[in-house]
Formats: sequence, structure tokens, C-alpha cells
Amino acid sequence: MSVKHESEDLRVGVFVCHCGLNIAGVVNVKEVVEYAKTLPNVVFAIDNRYTCSDPGQEEIRKAVKEHKLNRVVVAACSPRMHEPTFRRCVDEAGLNPYLFEMANIREHCSWCHPSTPKEATEKAKEIVKMAVSKARLLRPLEPIEVPVASTALVVGGGVAGINAALELAEMGFKVYLLEKNESIGGHMAQLDKTFPTLDCSICILGPKMVDVARHPNIEIISFADLLSVEGYIGNFKVRIRKNPRYVLEEKCTGCGECLPACPIEFPNDWDMNLGVRKAISVPFPQAVPLVYRINRDYCIECYKCIDACGPRQAINFDQKPEEIELKVGTIIVATGYDIYLPEEGNLYGYGKYSNVITSLEFERLILAAGPTGGHVVRASDGKMPKVVVFVQCVGSRDVNKYPYCSNFCCMYTLKHTIQLKEHYGSDVEVYVFYMDMRSNFKGYEEFYYRAREMGVNFIRGRVSKVIEDPETKNLLIHAEDTLLGEPIELEAELVVLATAAIPNKGIEEIARILNVTRGTDGFFMESHPKLKPLDTPVDGIFLAGACQGPKDIPYSVSQGCGAAARAATILSKPSVKIEPIISVVDPEKCRNTKVKCGICATKCPYGAIKAEPGMPAQVISAMCHGCGTCAAECPADAITQMHFTDAQIFAQIEAALEKNPEDKILGFCCNWCSYAGADLAGTSRFEYPTNIRIVKTMCSGRVDRDFVLEAFRRGAGMVLIGACHLPYDCHYIDGNWKMKARMEALAKALEKMGLTPDRFRIEYISAAEGSKFAQVVREMAEKLRDMGRERIIIENEKLRPYLERMLGKKR
Amino acid sequence: MPVKILKVEDGSAFILERIMYTKRYTLSLDRNKCVGCDLCIAACPKEAIKIVNPSDLADIENPPKKITVKVLEDKCNFCGICSEICIFGAFKQSVNDEEFIPVLKSESFPEVIHEVEVDEGKCPIGCKVCEEACPLSLIKVKWNGELEGKVKVEIDKDHCPVCRICEVKCPYNAIHTRKIISGLIKVNIDLCPEGCRACVDACPIPNVLFISNEGKVSVNDSFCVYCGACKNACPVEGAIDLRRISVHHTPVKSGAWNKALERLTSTGNMAKELRSKSIFKTYESVKKLHVRSRVSK
Repeated sequence: MSVKHESEDLRVGVFVCHCGLNIAGVVNVKEVVEYAKTLPNVVFAIDNRYTCSDPGQEEIRKAVKEHKLNRVVVAACSPRMHEPTFRRCVDEAGLNPYLFEMANIREHCSWCHPSTPKEATEKAKEIVKMAVSKARLLRPLEPIEVPVASTALVVGGGVAGINAALELAEMGFKVYLLEKNESIGGHMAQLDKTFPTLDCSICILGPKMVDVARHPNIEIISFADLLSVEGYIGNFKVRIRKNPRYVLEEKCTGCGECLPACPIEFPNDWDMNLGVRKAISVPFPQAVPLVYRINRDYCIECYKCIDACGPRQAINFDQKPEEIELKVGTIIVATGYDIYLPEEGNLYGYGKYSNVITSLEFERLILAAGPTGGHVVRASDGKMPKVVVFVQCVGSRDVNKYPYCSNFCCMYTLKHTIQLKEHYGSDVEVYVFYMDMRSNFKGYEEFYYRAREMGVNFIRGRVSKVIEDPETKNLLIHAEDTLLGEPIELEAELVVLATAAIPNKGIEEIARILNVTRGTDGFFMESHPKLKPLDTPVDGIFLAGACQGPKDIPYSVSQGCGAAARAATILSKPSVKIEPIISVVDPEKCRNTKVKCGICATKCPYGAIKAEPGMPAQVISAMCHGCGTCAAECPADAITQMHFTDAQIFAQIEAALEKNPEDKILGFCCNWCSYAGADLAGTSRFEYPTNIRIVKTMCSGRVDRDFVLEAFRRGAGMVLIGACHLPYDCHYIDGNWKMKARMEALAKALEKMGLTPDRFRIEYISAAEGSKFAQVVREMAEKLRDMGRERIIIENEKLRPYLERMLGKKR
Repeated sequence: MPVKILKVEDGSAFILERIMYTKRYTLSLDRNKCVGCDLCIAACPKEAIKIVNPSDLADIENPPKKITVKVLEDKCNFCGICSEICIFGAFKQSVNDEEFIPVLKSESFPEVIHEVEVDEGKCPIGCKVCEEACPLSLIKVKWNGELEGKVKVEIDKDHCPVCRICEVKCPYNAIHTRKIISGLIKVNIDLCPEGCRACVDACPIPNVLFISNEGKVSVNDSFCVYCGACKNACPVEGAIDLRRISVHHTPVKSGAWNKALERLTSTGNMAKELRSKSIFKTYESVKKLHVRSRVSK
């Protein structure tokens, strides 16, 4: 291999962490330290109880000075956890932060091999060896500094988005608040009262909505869709389509004189379709912005509204969708949630029996400004029900539907029961069928007792079925009282279902546009569940509120304010540093000077490479996101991705496969999905065999054909490439697609040469699929065992000449 | 909550309902009254009404025997225009079981005037000529009992397409009518298939279309209501030339009406109405000015 070694005296220091017993409980740390000392260029190795703690970091700083270390390896947890911490530490010690490498012996070793400590220790040693091999080839890098646009975009105008926008605006930043509906306010504006104080919801939210509209630093862009987001932290370019209202925002005074003139009514989805609104109307009287809208799906174009509007001339039937472009420094995603409507399959008779409604529909019924004027009545006969039954956990905590707990249903059901009792007293009997009552915040448990004291009957048990009496339209409830252990039947006049809170309808599209991952539950996933609950893996994009998981109002408000603070840490600086792990073209090697090549320019997902005819290709640093796809695609190997150079990865492969290569599975995992999936397998303590060695790349697009060839040339038993799910999960737009095209062709070629197809596998594993990662490794290890060493060695010997020829130019 | 749309259909009725928690909209079509014309189809602003042949409805219960219409549930917005424009009164629109046509209340659509007036003073006791003449049996003549020798002629105007037969037949000149729709109808007999009498069978008014002695279709324009049922039934494109010129209605100013009128008649005729409206407006304003100037003098 042609690796240019500068005449530098390499001095590597290795720090092995116990992480209390997290690592030391399985891996023999002392042994790893002794082993590390034997590795080339390692001049210092030591173990710490907690390397990330202050004394641990101090030890690194001290050692760098005392032993004149110029490369540092920390063997501890995942780099996704503490790489930034240790980079800072190394920087403080006077060393370039990119001369640091991490060996993940916790998530990828001790946590997932608890019952095989010996093998785990061996694996830990090799992980350290791989890290040291890479560390020896690390080069100092300088971060790239880019200016920051001091504006923010908040996507979603619910209570979380409103608070985020207000906080940022108060700090003096310009905020664009994007809302897809006609009015901001979100679900909170639909509610009657809030628990546990029974404050009127719109009375406390309304003033905030008006504050948003009046704030000089906030621009509301409502009834608009997010089309695309390009760019990077500090410099996002956002395209938005404003949908036509056919009423001009700047001219409509919100007087409502057009309303009585309009003859057409249509179901108001704001009222959960219980009531109607006019073809020209606002969804609710407190809407912000108070601009009317004509629904052309229903409008018959009688133009009576134009007459009513008169000299204000706010109505324009020729309005067209308008596209606008914004430049923002940060984005806060607060897109909220949706309510599950169990229409499909008519769960508990919903959609089939007219007296079965959801809680949000109940909310609109009991609201004084609602379609029934605050009277809880039955749809079948318009009468007040005497027996009301609430069914909890409809869809949620159900492994066949939504396995998670929807967080706020217990509390809103308590609120509804108390409201019913307050309105109708002893005229109404109230029953709640629950699985568990969860009332775990300030004042919530007291609220539960209040409901009990008011005479609400709580029955622990799941409702099995609801049957309608065709004559009375009453509902017969079959359930089991699990406390008494006996089946019960109950005749109800109204059934209210507490249905699950589910990811918003458009969340898939938003996730694709923003490149933000979602968990298995479908909600957005935060960077770290404990320490970075508001961050996304994309720098500069933050989460707030229920788009990350169901949350009640105070929690959403806190998150909105928190996300604003996170955004402000970026916006308040004139510039940000971005990681210099970008690609660089060697003009000497670039073919584009001689022939028409430009492959890199076509493969770059960001258009960051320019390849003018006759000129060497050029990477525009600020636009490069550092996926490394170009480096893998370049036919002349003229492109190097900093910090993930060919030489560094080859060194890792060599280290991983030095001993017993036929027993090993070499995995190339992308940082965002499959590496994180492997981390999650560890965090979740899914146990799998110790054969796998993982090389991290930023994107699966970085995995060069040569890496796979080299792995087999060195005798690897199996090779795994882990990538983000197709089609849209890739964090670099489509690096996974590039990898797929490249590797499927290679797999065919390898098969032709005589490689057993099972030995080369491509898997798409998301950051939430820890169990899938463990399963894949288990399967591969089993196949490896079934094949047996001998067969693999023979096959490898047969393959070697081909592989060597293919790798010729590299060697 | 999902909006419940209920559709009930058989040979004699078509009922579309939008049932919501607080409101129920019902649009019902009496297929016995529907003649299969295209007035509602032309007037509907949402293109929600389609013509259906008996063969299209073979799978419903006792299917209709003649051409009729159906309403598309995903397009109908229950505005009530169809129920106003139908000169046979076959459509009925109601909200919460009360007959209600939203577009009339807001003057988004004019009332179609069924002008049939009887001067009962001219009617002698015992004459039932009009009652017998009415092809749709909408007239009842009474003189017995409490009426004490006075004649009362009850006409179901809502369902009357105003064919004028009663007026012509009345021997005492007691009935005055004015056609709802004026227009022209011609049959291009050269295009008629041999032995075809589809239009004759489809026409709701007897003897407007008939087979002449030569065995060809002939038209008696004077009783034609210009509904267009014949045209829908005709198997040959262009054999029947039907042109509507105007519709007798209460004055309104509405885009929906202008568009409906354009589709019912022609762009030229719609423009003519607009022009006459503006002339009327100018006349009114001039008159006001004139009065004012006189007063000031």
C-alpha cells in the first residue's frame, strides 16, 4: 500500500475505560491494557474507571504532556456518545482533535457478549488494535468555519412550535413559523379544558397565538407546505409553497361579513367532522392569522362573498400557489401528532355504531363553542346519555397496533369524567375501563382521586367487544374485570374511546426532506434519549413536542423553549465550525484532466463537486457533507475523504483480520443507521456471537469495492455492509442507493469467481433496529459455522489470484 | 369522525345522505318524476350528476325502465341547485328533514318561475277540461262542499314544467302561463335510424314529438318544455337540435347562475342576460338620478 508516512515519531497513547462495571464486568481491562502496550508505536497505555469523568480526562491531558503523545486512542463507549468529549479533551491537551480515535468496546463488545467474557476480551483487544492502526495514520485537520444566518424556521405551529418561535423571537432572532393548516394553535386549540387545572384551553393559548402574530420578529407562513431543505447548519435553504386561500392575507380584515353570504357548508375537520363550516370561513373563531379561506372543492363560485367583501376587495379567485425561498440558520421541527381513528375494522364499533366516539370528538362535544354548544349528546337521538363508558388504550399499548403508551390518554379521560360529573352530576353514570392508570406528574394523582371522589367508576380490564342494540342504539360492553377476575357486561349509552396518539400524517415526507430519522414507532428520533433529547443527528435541526413521541402540554411547552435555547446556541454566534471530514481531490491523479470522466460530480448527492472538462475535479468544501461516496466511486482513486482515507480503512481491515480471518465477519457500517443500530443492540443488551468486527464509515456510500476485495483477500469469513433503509433513510440523500448499485454488481462478480453468496451480505438496518442487527450477526455467524473453516480457506485460496489482480493498482 | 355518506338507490328513487353528528343533509331524487333530461346535469356546479341508462343499473333492485340520472357522492356538496333547476320537481333537498335549498336563501341561484295562473272567476262549474288535459295530472278542479258554488283550481306548480297544454285547451281563456324555458327544437330526420322512436318515447309531454304519416319524427314546438330528454335518448349524434334561449327566473346576481345559464343555453345567451342586467342597472340609476334632480329642483 502506498501510504505516505511523514518522518514523524509516532507516539500513541491508549486509554482503556472500565465504565464502572459496564465494560470491566465482562472484559478483562488489565489484559487489554497489557495487549495495547505491545502494539506498534504505542508508548503508553493505562486503564481508567471512568475515562469520560473529569479525573479521567485529566489523566489523558497529563499523559499527552508527559509522554509526548501525538495520537490518542480511547477504548470505551460508542463514538456516537463521547467522541466530541474526548476530541475536546485532546484539543485542550494541545493536540489536534482529529488525532484522536475511539475503540467502541462497550456497545459493540461488553454489552452484547456478557456470557462469553474470554471471547469478549479477545474482541476488545482487536477493536483496540483496529483503532490503533487507524490512529497511526490520522492526520491533523482544521475545522471549516462557515457563517451563520441568524434566522430560524419553526416547522409546525402547535403549542411547542409557538413557544419555540416566541422564545427565539424574544431573544432577537427572526423566526419563520411554518404551519400547514390555516391557523396556528395545533391540537391544543381544539381542546376544551386542560388537565389537571381545568383551565380553558383556548383562553390560555389564544393570547399566545396573538403574541406570535403581533411579534415583529415572527413571520407566520400558514396554509403552506415544506417543499425542500438544502444546505447545512447555519445555512439552510428552505423552499416553501404557500397554498392559495383565494382570500388575500394582506387585505382580509377577518370581519366575517362573507360568512353569512356563503350558501355552502362542508364538514369541518377542525370539529372532527362533527360540525360544518362554510366554503368561505376560518376553522375556528380564534384562528391566527384570522384570514378567511375559500375551499374550492366545495365552492360553487356564486361570488356572493365578493359582494359581501365589497370595497375591501380581499377575495381573488385567480390566486395561485406561491413558492418562496428562505435562508435560515437552524430549523426546529414541531410537527406534532395525529389521533388514531379506528375506522378500519370498526374497532369497538367505531364508524359503525353512531354512539361510539373518540376522545377528541368528545372534546369538541363538551366544548361550549363546539358544534353542539357544549351539550354532550348522542348522534343517534340527540339526547344526553345517562351512562357513559370510557375505554382506555385503544390502539396504544397494543402490540398489533401501536405498542407504546400514548402518554396523555389517562389524564384526558380523567378530565372528561370530571367534566361530565361537573356538568351533569348524578344524572350521569361514568365508567372507565383501563389497563393501568398513569398519572405521574405534578398534580396528576390528585386529579385521579378527585375523579374517584366525584363518583367515577374505574374498572381495570380490557374491553373485548362492543355490541349495539339496534333499537335503542345503546351499546353492550363485554369486558373482564381483572381485579375481580370475572367477566362483566355493561349497557352504555355513549362509548368514548381514548385512541392512540400516532405520528403525524405528513411525518414521512418531513423526515425525507429534513433527513431526520424516525424510530420504530414512527415518531422522530432524538440524537440521544437522555442527553440530547432535543437534537437530531442532523446538526442545526432540533425537535420539540409530540413529533418525537406523545407529550402533554407542559412537556411540549418545555421542549419548545428548550429547542429554542438549543437553536440560539447556534444563532447567537457569527459562525459555526463544521467537521473537516470532507473529500479532497488529488489533481495529479484525477482522470478528468485527460479524459471526460466527471463520475464524482454525477455521484455527489449534494452537487458539491465541479468537474470542468480538461480540469481536475474540485470539491466545494462548504457544500461537501462528508459522505465519501465520491471517494468510493472515483475510478482513479484520486479522491480522499479526510479522516476516512483508504489507507486508514485498509489499516483497520488488516488489523481486524490478522488473526483467524476465516472466523470473522467484517462489517462496514454507516454512522447514522447501521452503526447506531449496532449501538442499540448493545444498549438493549441483545447478545450475539463475537465474530463481528465493525469498521465505521460516515455513509455506506463510502464503502469502496476495494474494501470488500481486500477483506476477502485477507481471508475474511464474511463481509457485511450495513446501510440506512431504502429509499429515503440515507443521511446523505442517496448514498445507500449508490452503494447498492456498486455492491450488487460486485456480489455478482464475486459469485462468478466462486464466492459462496452467503459470505457477502448487504443489510439495511436503521438506528432503531438493534434487534435486527443482532439477528443478522447471529444468522451470519451460524452460516459461517455451518460452512466450516476448511471450506472457507479453500475458497479464499481459489479467490486470491483474482482478488490480487483486481486490487493490483492499490498494492 | 368519518363523514358518513349514505346512498340508497332503486328504480324509483335515489337518495344521497351526508350524515354528521349535528346535521343531516338529504338529496333525494324521485325517479318516477325524473324524465332523464339534462337540466340538472348542466346546472350542477360540481359536475356531480351523470346520466344513467337502465343497462348501467341492472344490478340494483327493480331497476328503472328509462333513462335517469345519478348523483356522484364524492362530488355532491348539497347546494340544492339541482332541486331548483329541475322543472319536473324530481329532486328534493333537505337539511335535518326540513326542505331547504341553501343557494336560494343566499340568492346564489334564482328561483325558477313556474308561471301558471288561473282566473277562477271565469271557470264554470262542471268544467274539468284542464284537469283532463294535464299530461302530468297536476291539476285538480274543485267546486263541491264548502266552496259554495265557487270553483277552485289547484295546480301543483312545483312539479309543473309549464307545457301550456292547459292554457291552449281551456275553452274559457281562464289560464295564463309562461314557459319556463324558451328555445328551439328541430329534428334532422335524415339522420333518424329506420323505425326509431326513442325520442318520442322519452318525451314527457305527449304529442310534442310524434311519428307523422310518412313514418318520420315530427315536432310540435308549441308544447315543448326544452328539457332535452329526447336528445339524451336519441342514439344518433346531432339528430335532434335543441337550443335553449332563456330561463324564466327571479333576478339574481350570481356567478354560479351565470355559469349554469351558459351551460343550459349558450355563451351568447348568457352574455345577453348580463347585458340586459347592466342595462337595467343603468336604467335604475338614471331613474334615481332623475328623481333626485327633480326633488332638488
